Amino acid sequence: MRCPEALFRAAAAVALAASCGAFAAADQVKAEVAARLQQQVPGISAADYALGAAALDNELRSKMQENAAASAPVIEAGKKLFGRKFGNGRTLAACFPNGGRRIAAAYPQYDARLKRVVTLEMAVNQCLKANGEALYEAADADTMGALTAYLRSLSDGQRVAVRMPAAAEERFEAGRRLYFTRLGQRNFACASCHVQSAGRRYAEQVLSPAVGQATHWPLIRDGRAVTLQVRMRECLELMGAAPFAAGSDELNHLEYFLTYLSNGLALKANAWRPSTAP
Amino acid sequence: MRRSCLLAALAAVVALPALGQDREALDLFVRPDKGHCIACHQLPAGVGPETRSDLGPRLEGSRMRELGRDALKDLIDDPMRRSGESVMPPYGRHRILDPREIQRLGEFLHALP
Repeated sequence: MRCPEALFRAAAAVALAASCGAFAAADQVKAEVAARLQQQVPGISAADYALGAAALDNELRSKMQENAAASAPVIEAGKKLFGRKFGNGRTLAACFPNGGRRIAAAYPQYDARLKRVVTLEMAVNQCLKANGEALYEAADADTMGALTAYLRSLSDGQRVAVRMPAAAEERFEAGRRLYFTRLGQRNFACASCHVQSAGRRYAEQVLSPAVGQATHWPLIRDGRAVTLQVRMRECLELMGAAPFAAGSDELNHLEYFLTYLSNGLALKANAWRPSTAP
Repeated sequence: MRRSCLLAALAAVVALPALGQDREALDLFVRPDKGHCIACHQLPAGVGPETRSDLGPRLEGSRMRELGRDALKDLIDDPMRRSGESVMPPYGRHRILDPREIQRLGEFLHALP
Protein backbone atom coordinates (compact mmCIF):
# COMPACT_ATOMS: atom_id res chain seq x y z
CA MET A 1 0.00 0.00 0.00
CA ARG A 2 1.40 3.38 -0.97
CA CYS A 3 1.50 6.08 1.63
CA PRO A 4 -0.82 8.92 0.62
CA GLU A 5 1.14 12.11 0.06
CA ALA A 6 -0.76 14.10 2.69
CA LEU A 7 -0.17 11.41 5.28
CA PHE A 8 3.48 11.24 4.35
CA ARG A 9 3.82 15.01 4.71
CA ALA A 10 2.05 14.96 8.07
CA ALA A 11 4.29 12.14 9.31
CA ALA A 12 7.36 14.01 8.07
CA ALA A 13 6.19 17.17 9.81
CA VAL A 14 5.62 15.29 13.10
CA ALA A 15 9.05 13.63 12.83
CA LEU A 16 10.69 16.98 12.09
CA ALA A 17 8.86 18.68 14.95
CA ALA A 18 9.84 15.88 17.33
CA SER A 19 13.44 16.11 16.18
CA CYS A 20 13.46 19.91 16.50
CA GLY A 21 11.77 19.58 19.87
CA ALA A 22 14.56 17.39 21.22
CA PHE A 23 17.17 19.64 19.68
CA ALA A 24 15.48 22.73 21.08
CA ALA A 25 15.12 21.25 24.58
CA ALA A 26 18.77 20.20 24.70
CA ASP A 27 19.90 23.50 23.24
CA GLN A 28 17.81 25.41 25.72
CA VAL A 29 19.49 23.55 28.58
CA LYS A 30 22.88 24.26 26.97
CA ALA A 31 22.05 27.96 26.68
CA GLU A 32 20.81 28.15 30.28
CA VAL A 33 23.97 26.51 31.66
CA ALA A 34 26.15 28.77 29.48
CA ALA A 35 24.26 31.87 30.69
CA ARG A 36 24.65 30.84 34.32
CA LEU A 37 28.38 30.29 33.79
CA GLN A 38 28.72 33.69 32.14
CA GLN A 39 27.49 35.17 35.41
CA GLN A 40 29.64 32.90 37.55
CA VAL A 41 32.89 33.19 35.58
CA PRO A 42 32.49 36.10 33.16
CA GLY A 43 34.83 36.81 30.30
CA ILE A 44 36.02 33.31 29.42
CA SER A 45 36.51 32.81 25.69
CA ALA A 46 35.22 29.70 23.93
CA ALA A 47 38.80 28.56 23.35
CA ASP A 48 39.56 28.88 27.05
CA TYR A 49 36.47 26.94 28.11
CA ALA A 50 38.02 23.94 26.37
CA LEU A 51 40.91 24.05 28.86
CA GLY A 52 38.63 23.08 31.76
CA ALA A 53 39.92 24.24 35.16
CA ALA A 54 43.08 25.59 33.51
CA ALA A 55 40.93 28.30 31.90
CA LEU A 56 40.65 29.86 35.36
CA ASP A 57 44.00 28.89 36.85
CA ASN A 58 47.13 30.39 35.29
CA GLU A 59 49.39 28.27 37.47
CA LEU A 60 47.74 25.07 36.22
CA ARG A 61 47.83 26.36 32.65
CA SER A 62 51.58 26.96 32.74
CA LYS A 63 52.20 23.57 34.39
CA MET A 64 50.11 21.94 31.65
CA GLN A 65 52.37 23.52 29.05
CA GLU A 66 55.52 22.48 30.94
CA ASN A 67 54.29 18.88 31.19
CA ALA A 68 52.72 18.58 27.74
CA ALA A 69 55.22 15.85 26.77
CA ALA A 70 53.93 13.57 29.55
CA SER A 71 51.20 12.31 27.23
CA ALA A 72 53.61 10.99 24.56
CA PRO A 73 54.35 7.55 26.12
CA VAL A 74 50.63 7.02 26.88
CA ILE A 75 49.65 7.89 23.30
CA GLU A 76 52.39 5.61 21.99
CA ALA A 77 51.09 2.73 24.13
CA GLY A 78 47.58 3.40 22.81
CA LYS A 79 48.85 3.43 19.22
CA LYS A 80 50.35 -0.02 19.73
CA LEU A 81 47.04 -1.33 21.07
CA PHE A 82 45.21 0.21 18.13
CA GLY A 83 47.53 -1.53 15.69
CA ARG A 84 47.53 -4.88 17.50
CA LYS A 85 46.37 -7.66 15.21
CA PHE A 86 43.34 -9.65 16.30
CA GLY A 87 43.20 -13.41 16.01
CA ASN A 88 41.44 -12.94 12.67
CA GLY A 89 44.19 -10.69 11.35
CA ARG A 90 42.18 -7.48 11.60
CA THR A 91 42.86 -4.51 13.86
CA LEU A 92 40.69 -1.91 15.59
CA ALA A 93 41.15 0.28 12.52
CA ALA A 94 38.73 -2.04 10.70
CA CYS A 95 35.86 -0.75 12.84
CA PHE A 96 36.49 2.98 12.54
CA PRO A 97 36.49 5.17 9.44
CA ASN A 98 39.67 7.04 8.41
CA GLY A 99 41.78 4.70 10.54
CA GLY A 100 40.22 6.34 13.60
CA ARG A 101 41.10 9.90 12.55
CA ARG A 102 38.61 12.72 13.21
CA ILE A 103 35.97 10.48 14.78
CA ALA A 104 36.14 11.29 18.51
CA ALA A 105 34.27 14.59 18.30
CA ALA A 106 31.04 12.77 17.40
CA TYR A 107 31.05 10.63 20.57
CA PRO A 108 29.04 9.80 22.58
CA GLN A 109 26.37 9.01 20.02
CA TYR A 110 22.94 7.45 20.21
CA ASP A 111 22.62 4.01 18.67
CA ALA A 112 19.01 3.69 17.50
CA ARG A 113 19.32 -0.07 17.07
CA LEU A 114 20.65 -0.68 20.58
CA LYS A 115 18.56 2.20 21.98
CA ARG A 116 21.63 3.15 24.00
CA VAL A 117 24.17 5.93 24.18
CA VAL A 118 27.50 4.65 22.87
CA THR A 119 30.73 6.23 24.09
CA LEU A 120 34.05 5.94 22.28
CA GLU A 121 35.10 3.38 24.89
CA MET A 122 31.97 1.31 24.18
CA ALA A 123 32.63 1.52 20.45
CA VAL A 124 36.11 0.10 21.04
CA ASN A 125 34.66 -2.81 23.01
CA GLN A 126 31.96 -3.37 20.37
CA CYS A 127 34.75 -3.74 17.84
CA LEU A 128 36.68 -6.15 20.05
CA LYS A 129 33.53 -8.22 20.61
CA ALA A 130 32.67 -8.30 16.92
CA ASN A 131 36.13 -9.67 16.22
CA GLY A 132 36.06 -12.30 18.95
CA GLU A 133 38.58 -10.50 21.18
CA ALA A 134 38.54 -10.05 24.95
CA LEU A 135 37.01 -6.72 26.01
CA TYR A 136 38.92 -3.99 27.84
CA GLU A 137 37.80 -2.80 31.25
CA ALA A 138 36.25 0.63 30.71
CA ALA A 139 38.16 2.04 33.69
CA ASP A 140 41.55 0.44 32.97
CA ALA A 141 44.17 3.11 32.39
CA ASP A 142 46.71 0.85 30.66
CA THR A 143 44.35 -0.49 28.00
CA MET A 144 41.17 1.55 27.47
CA GLY A 145 42.74 4.72 28.86
CA ALA A 146 45.82 4.53 26.64
CA LEU A 147 43.79 3.49 23.60
CA THR A 148 41.41 6.43 23.89
CA ALA A 149 44.36 8.76 24.57
CA TYR A 150 45.64 7.75 21.12
CA LEU A 151 42.25 7.73 19.38
CA ARG A 152 41.27 11.13 20.76
CA SER A 153 44.68 12.58 19.89
CA LEU A 154 43.76 11.84 16.26
CA SER A 155 40.87 14.31 16.65
CA ASP A 156 42.77 17.18 18.26
CA GLY A 157 41.32 20.49 17.12
CA GLN A 158 38.08 18.95 15.87
CA ARG A 159 34.95 20.68 17.14
CA VAL A 160 32.75 18.64 19.45
CA ALA A 161 29.72 17.67 17.36
CA VAL A 162 27.47 15.40 19.41
CA ARG A 163 24.14 14.76 17.67
CA MET A 164 20.84 14.80 19.50
CA PRO A 165 18.18 12.82 17.63
CA ALA A 166 14.66 12.94 19.07
CA ALA A 167 14.94 9.37 20.33
CA ALA A 168 17.96 10.32 22.43
CA GLU A 169 16.26 13.16 24.28
CA GLU A 170 15.42 10.94 27.26
CA ARG A 171 19.08 9.96 27.62
CA PHE A 172 20.19 13.57 27.51
CA GLU A 173 17.54 14.41 30.11
CA ALA A 174 18.65 11.49 32.32
CA GLY A 175 22.20 12.86 32.18
CA ARG A 176 21.03 16.39 32.94
CA ARG A 177 18.96 15.16 35.87
CA LEU A 178 21.89 13.23 37.32
CA TYR A 179 24.19 16.26 36.92
CA PHE A 180 21.81 18.48 38.88
CA THR A 181 20.77 15.95 41.56
CA ARG A 182 22.32 16.12 45.02
CA LEU A 183 23.90 12.79 45.87
CA GLY A 184 25.76 11.04 48.63
CA GLN A 185 26.65 11.83 52.19
CA ARG A 186 28.10 15.24 51.29
CA ASN A 187 24.90 16.21 49.45
CA PHE A 188 26.66 17.72 46.43
CA ALA A 189 25.34 17.69 42.89
CA CYS A 190 27.87 17.86 40.03
CA ALA A 191 26.30 21.25 39.30
CA SER A 192 26.92 22.45 42.88
CA CYS A 193 30.60 22.69 41.98
CA HIS A 194 30.73 22.97 38.19
CA VAL A 195 27.83 25.38 37.57
CA GLN A 196 26.92 27.09 40.84
CA SER A 197 30.52 27.38 42.10
CA ALA A 198 32.62 27.11 38.91
CA GLY A 199 35.87 29.00 39.20
CA ARG A 200 36.02 28.76 42.97
CA ARG A 201 38.49 26.48 44.71
CA TYR A 202 37.66 23.21 46.49
CA ALA A 203 40.57 21.56 48.31
CA GLU A 204 42.91 24.04 46.61
CA GLN A 205 41.80 23.06 43.10
CA VAL A 206 39.86 25.35 40.78
CA LEU A 207 36.45 23.90 39.91
CA SER A 208 36.08 23.55 36.16
CA PRO A 209 32.97 24.99 34.44
CA ALA A 210 30.47 22.44 33.08
CA VAL A 211 30.91 23.85 29.57
CA GLY A 212 34.27 22.62 28.30
CA GLN A 213 34.50 19.81 30.82
CA ALA A 214 34.27 17.14 28.14
CA THR A 215 36.91 18.42 25.71
CA HIS A 216 40.29 17.38 27.08
CA TRP A 217 39.99 13.70 28.00
CA PRO A 218 41.60 11.50 28.95
CA LEU A 219 43.69 13.47 31.42
CA ILE A 220 47.28 12.46 31.93
CA ARG A 221 47.92 12.12 35.63
CA ASP A 222 51.00 10.43 37.11
CA GLY A 223 51.85 9.21 33.62
CA ARG A 224 48.52 7.40 33.16
CA ALA A 225 45.34 8.13 31.23
CA VAL A 226 42.28 9.05 33.31
CA THR A 227 39.09 8.84 31.28
CA LEU A 228 36.14 11.16 31.86
CA GLN A 229 34.09 8.39 33.44
CA VAL A 230 36.93 7.39 35.78
CA ARG A 231 37.07 11.03 36.86
CA MET A 232 33.28 11.06 37.33
CA ARG A 233 33.66 8.07 39.62
CA GLU A 234 36.30 9.90 41.66
CA CYS A 235 33.93 12.86 41.99
CA LEU A 236 31.09 10.60 43.14
CA GLU A 237 33.37 9.11 45.79
CA LEU A 238 34.27 12.62 46.99
CA MET A 239 30.54 13.32 47.21
CA GLY A 240 30.16 10.30 49.48
CA ALA A 241 28.11 8.41 46.90
CA ALA A 242 28.62 4.87 45.66
CA PRO A 243 29.97 5.49 42.16
CA PHE A 244 28.25 4.06 39.10
CA ALA A 245 30.43 1.70 37.07
CA ALA A 246 32.44 3.07 34.17
CA GLY A 247 30.44 2.15 31.07
CA SER A 248 27.11 2.09 32.95
CA ASP A 249 24.11 3.75 31.33
CA GLU A 250 24.12 6.32 34.15
CA LEU A 251 27.65 7.53 33.40
CA ASN A 252 27.06 7.23 29.64
CA HIS A 253 24.05 9.55 29.95
CA LEU A 254 26.07 11.92 32.10
CA GLU A 255 28.85 11.94 29.50
CA TYR A 256 26.31 12.47 26.70
CA PHE A 257 24.79 15.47 28.51
CA LEU A 258 28.16 16.93 29.43
CA THR A 259 29.66 16.50 25.97
CA TYR A 260 26.63 18.09 24.32
CA LEU A 261 27.24 21.16 26.50
CA SER A 262 30.68 21.38 24.85
CA ASN A 263 29.39 21.18 21.27
CA GLY A 264 31.35 23.57 19.08
CA LEU A 265 34.44 23.65 21.31
CA ALA A 266 37.74 22.27 20.04
CA LEU A 267 38.92 18.91 21.36
CA LYS A 268 42.35 18.81 22.95
CA ALA A 269 42.89 15.38 24.45
CA ASN A 270 45.45 14.33 27.02
CA ALA A 271 45.55 17.42 29.21
CA TRP A 272 48.13 17.09 31.98
CA ARG A 273 46.94 17.32 35.56
CA PRO A 274 48.84 17.14 38.88
CA SER A 275 48.51 13.98 40.94
CA THR A 276 46.44 15.71 43.63
CA ALA A 277 43.76 17.11 41.31
CA PRO A 278 40.32 16.35 42.77
CA MET B 1 57.82 44.92 82.86
CA ARG B 2 56.47 42.23 85.15
CA ARG B 3 52.96 43.64 84.69
CA SER B 4 53.19 43.63 80.88
CA CYS B 5 54.42 40.02 80.91
CA LEU B 6 51.50 39.06 83.09
CA LEU B 7 49.08 40.79 80.74
CA ALA B 8 50.61 39.05 77.71
CA ALA B 9 50.34 35.66 79.41
CA LEU B 10 46.73 36.38 80.34
CA ALA B 11 45.93 37.42 76.76
CA ALA B 12 47.49 34.21 75.45
CA VAL B 13 45.39 32.08 77.82
CA VAL B 14 42.21 33.93 76.81
CA ALA B 15 43.08 33.57 73.12
CA LEU B 16 43.98 29.87 73.31
CA PRO B 17 40.74 28.49 71.90
CA ALA B 18 40.56 31.22 69.29
CA LEU B 19 44.08 30.48 68.13
CA GLY B 20 43.09 26.98 67.21
CA GLN B 21 44.50 25.28 70.27
CA ASP B 22 41.36 23.14 70.46
CA ARG B 23 43.13 20.37 68.61
CA GLU B 24 40.11 18.09 68.43
CA ALA B 25 37.96 20.77 66.84
CA LEU B 26 40.71 21.69 64.39
CA ASP B 27 41.01 18.01 63.57
CA LEU B 28 37.27 17.90 62.81
CA PHE B 29 37.70 20.99 60.66
CA VAL B 30 40.53 19.53 58.61
CA ARG B 31 40.05 15.77 58.31
CA PRO B 32 38.58 14.59 54.97
CA ASP B 33 36.60 11.87 56.75
CA LYS B 34 35.13 14.37 59.22
CA GLY B 35 34.14 17.99 58.54
CA HIS B 36 36.79 18.66 55.89
CA CYS B 37 35.69 22.28 56.21
CA ILE B 38 39.20 23.32 55.13
CA ALA B 39 38.31 22.12 51.60
CA CYS B 40 35.97 25.10 51.27
CA HIS B 41 36.69 27.67 54.01
CA GLN B 42 39.69 29.81 54.95
CA LEU B 43 40.46 30.43 58.63
CA PRO B 44 41.94 33.57 60.15
CA ALA B 45 45.75 33.64 59.93
CA GLY B 46 47.51 31.45 62.46
CA VAL B 47 44.49 29.39 63.48
CA GLY B 48 44.89 26.46 61.14
CA PRO B 49 46.39 25.43 57.80
CA GLU B 50 46.41 28.07 55.10
CA THR B 51 44.38 27.40 51.98
CA ARG B 52 43.28 29.18 48.81
CA SER B 53 39.99 27.27 48.84
CA ASP B 54 36.97 29.56 48.67
CA LEU B 55 33.94 27.45 47.81
CA GLY B 56 32.48 28.71 51.08
CA PRO B 57 33.00 32.08 52.78
CA ARG B 58 36.11 32.95 54.79
CA LEU B 59 35.36 32.30 58.46
CA GLU B 60 35.86 35.34 60.67
CA GLY B 61 35.22 35.29 64.42
CA SER B 62 33.15 38.47 64.40
CA ARG B 63 30.76 37.02 61.83
CA MET B 64 30.57 33.72 63.72
CA ARG B 65 29.63 35.51 66.96
CA GLU B 66 27.12 37.63 65.04
CA LEU B 67 25.42 34.40 63.98
CA GLY B 68 25.56 33.01 67.51
CA ARG B 69 26.23 29.54 68.89
CA ASP B 70 22.79 28.09 68.21
CA ALA B 71 22.63 29.28 64.61
CA LEU B 72 26.16 28.00 63.97
CA LYS B 73 25.32 24.54 65.25
CA ASP B 74 22.06 24.57 63.31
CA LEU B 75 23.99 25.56 60.19
CA ILE B 76 26.47 22.73 60.62
CA ASP B 77 23.64 20.29 61.31
CA ASP B 78 21.74 21.15 58.12
CA PRO B 79 22.58 24.30 56.13
CA MET B 80 19.63 23.69 53.80
CA ARG B 81 17.26 24.76 56.56
CA ARG B 82 18.59 28.29 55.99
CA SER B 83 19.09 28.11 52.22
CA GLY B 84 18.08 25.45 49.72
CA GLU B 85 20.92 26.68 47.49
CA SER B 86 23.63 25.95 50.05
CA VAL B 87 26.37 23.58 48.84
CA MET B 88 27.56 22.86 52.38
CA PRO B 89 27.09 19.26 53.52
CA PRO B 90 24.38 18.61 56.14
CA TYR B 91 26.78 17.26 58.75
CA GLY B 92 24.14 16.32 61.30
CA ARG B 93 21.29 15.29 59.03
CA HIS B 94 23.59 13.05 57.00
CA ARG B 95 25.41 11.79 60.11
CA ILE B 96 28.85 12.90 58.99
CA LEU B 97 29.42 14.35 62.48
CA ASP B 98 27.71 13.34 65.72
CA PRO B 99 26.01 15.91 68.00
CA ARG B 100 29.07 16.17 70.27
CA GLU B 101 31.34 16.86 67.28
CA ILE B 102 28.93 19.48 65.95
CA GLN B 103 28.89 21.13 69.40
CA ARG B 104 32.71 21.14 69.46
CA LEU B 105 33.01 22.55 65.96
CA GLY B 106 30.39 25.22 66.72
CA GLU B 107 32.34 26.33 69.79
CA PHE B 108 35.56 26.39 67.76
CA LEU B 109 34.00 28.64 65.12
CA HIS B 110 32.42 30.88 67.76
CA ALA B 111 35.82 31.41 69.38
CA LEU B 112 37.68 32.29 66.17
CA PRO B 113 39.60 35.59 66.25
